[in-house]
Amino acid sequence: MIALLIANSLALASLLIMLASGLALIYGLRDVINFGHGAIYMLGAYLGYTVSLVGGFWLALVVVPILLALLGIAFEYLALRPLQGRSHIEVALVTLGLGIILGQIIIFFYGGVARSVDAPQILSGSVTVLNLSYPVYRIFLIVMGLGSCVLLALWLRFTSSGLHVRAVSQDPSVARMMGINADRLSLLVTSLSTAFAGVAGVLAGPYMSIDPGMDVTMIVNCLIIVVIGGTGSIGGAIVAALLFGFMQVAGSVFLPNIAALVPYILLMVVLLIAPRGIGRGRVLS
Amino acid sequence: MSNRATTAASERVATIGATGGPSLRLPLTLVAVAIVFVVGAVAPTQFAGDFVLRLGNEGLLLGMLALSVAFLMNQAGLVALGAASIYGGAGLLFAIAMNDWNLTPMGALCASFLIIVVYATVLGALIVRTNPLAFMMLTLAAGEMISHAVMLEGLRDYTGGADGLVVSFKGTVFGMEAADFASPARFWVVVWLATWLAGLALWAVGRSRLGAILRAVRENEERMRFSGFDTYLPRLIAYVLVNIVAAVAGLLHVLNAGFVSPESLGISVSTNALVAALMGGIAGSVGPILGGLIFSFAQDEFGGRGLTQLLTGIAIVVFIVVFPRGVVGGLSGMAWLRTRAFGGRRETS
Repeated sequence: MIALLIANSLALASLLIMLASGLALIYGLRDVINFGHGAIYMLGAYLGYTVSLVGGFWLALVVVPILLALLGIAFEYLALRPLQGRSHIEVALVTLGLGIILGQIIIFFYGGVARSVDAPQILSGSVTVLNLSYPVYRIFLIVMGLGSCVLLALWLRFTSSGLHVRAVSQDPSVARMMGINADRLSLLVTSLSTAFAGVAGVLAGPYMSIDPGMDVTMIVNCLIIVVIGGTGSIGGAIVAALLFGFMQVAGSVFLPNIAALVPYILLMVVLLIAPRGIGRGRVLS
Repeated sequence: MSNRATTAASERVATIGATGGPSLRLPLTLVAVAIVFVVGAVAPTQFAGDFVLRLGNEGLLLGMLALSVAFLMNQAGLVALGAASIYGGAGLLFAIAMNDWNLTPMGALCASFLIIVVYATVLGALIVRTNPLAFMMLTLAAGEMISHAVMLEGLRDYTGGADGLVVSFKGTVFGMEAADFASPARFWVVVWLATWLAGLALWAVGRSRLGAILRAVRENEERMRFSGFDTYLPRLIAYVLVNIVAAVAGLLHVLNAGFVSPESLGISVSTNALVAALMGGIAGSVGPILGGLIFSFAQDEFGGRGLTQLLTGIAIVVFIVVFPRGVVGGLSGMAWLRTRAFGGRRETS
């Protein structure tokens, strides 16, 4: 029972980690929270649905992140860079508006109905581990989520571009004085962030249904995680996503009546105890 | 502090009526404002049809909501994305108080108003100490929390779930019966008066000491704290104040419509209010109200075929990027947002 609970919360947390760390990455570089992230994730899910119908799930898992990385590049050049001189609140509002536009365009093309994606043959069904039967797809989801988490940490820790990202996140002006090109980094980070959202969107297809409200649900969940984790802290976001996933899953088991409110209760409790969130550093330290 | 601020506000409102406020020194201006007030209250009920009046009523209610969003944005630099939960929440509570608690209409009105103010105070106490970006995220989350709570299965008997609640009250509220509130022409006068009161009150608060402190905290919270000012309480008061305006708008809405839908708590109401505020310009009281009216009529004109949301998104982007001062607020608007980025100073409105 407990093992099942933990496995389920890990599966949910995997999706959340991919999205919340993307948010935290952009925030680290640009000091902007991308309120359109939920819509990008939704686009990933719907594009994943379409590509899966044409060429199968695996193709979708490769193509969609690439498409969304291109979208991220456009987002960087057309929105983030021209608005660099504006206040962060204004830019955040612009991303909110862009998210609404993107969401409405998706609804225009796909209609307001929910869709479902089938997991590929090899990932459907379930395996039995220690007398517990568990869906293979969720294990795959956990592996993907934790895998991307590890890759992200390795990138930030051991590559020069990762070092630069950490430097800019810590102190933009000093980093710039040291000759780091924040614009070029931002391009990399923004496309990485949207590509992650694409992966999460494709992975979400077989795990939960794809519906037109998923963008708002997901962005609100991610914002809660980012606030709990300490804004801009990737390590904090990961811990917060795990905590969030566990609370959500445990809530739906033990408190089914108010399960939908559990994340908000968690948020309020954390705000009461630690208004700045549980993470300490600005970015993975 | 709260009492002092609100009495100061009401005194100012009173002096405007009697001798003219600090900025309305010219009697001519005062006369013009009075004429606009009287003509605006009477003329539409005489010349406009029911349909136009209904749009106008919706516009003014949205304008009040936009007023609350704009005031917090302009004075405190905080963007609230959860206005809908107060607006719809107040209406829903009124319906519940009427249907389930068997209160008189007046009692239900007071009860729902009090509960929503307590909620806003508790929520504000938790979230106004965060930075503006976190505040924006938290208001969005809190708004979603309320709209999820309303849809909970266990509360369905109370809240009506997705079906919403019908309110039919017998008796009178402020001497008006249900039929009076439902009549577009008579409701126009009520909502016109309420909008003016809200606009004048917030305008007066903006010019008071509280407003000055809020703007100073907005520019540099740390400096104000070091100078010995409490930076927390003024923002909390401002947050509660704007939510009172939003709650009044929500209560008026339910009195007029006789119905609360769960959509009135949804995020789209919050973003509509934001768009109305941006359209009108966030400085001053006239802009947001006009923005609400423009939004209402524009929605009727262009909002068919489910385009409203798309246009809302486009409007947010366009008004921030291209017309940051809105249609009306050409004087100061969001200028501070940009001057602050360069460390500049701004004349406060």
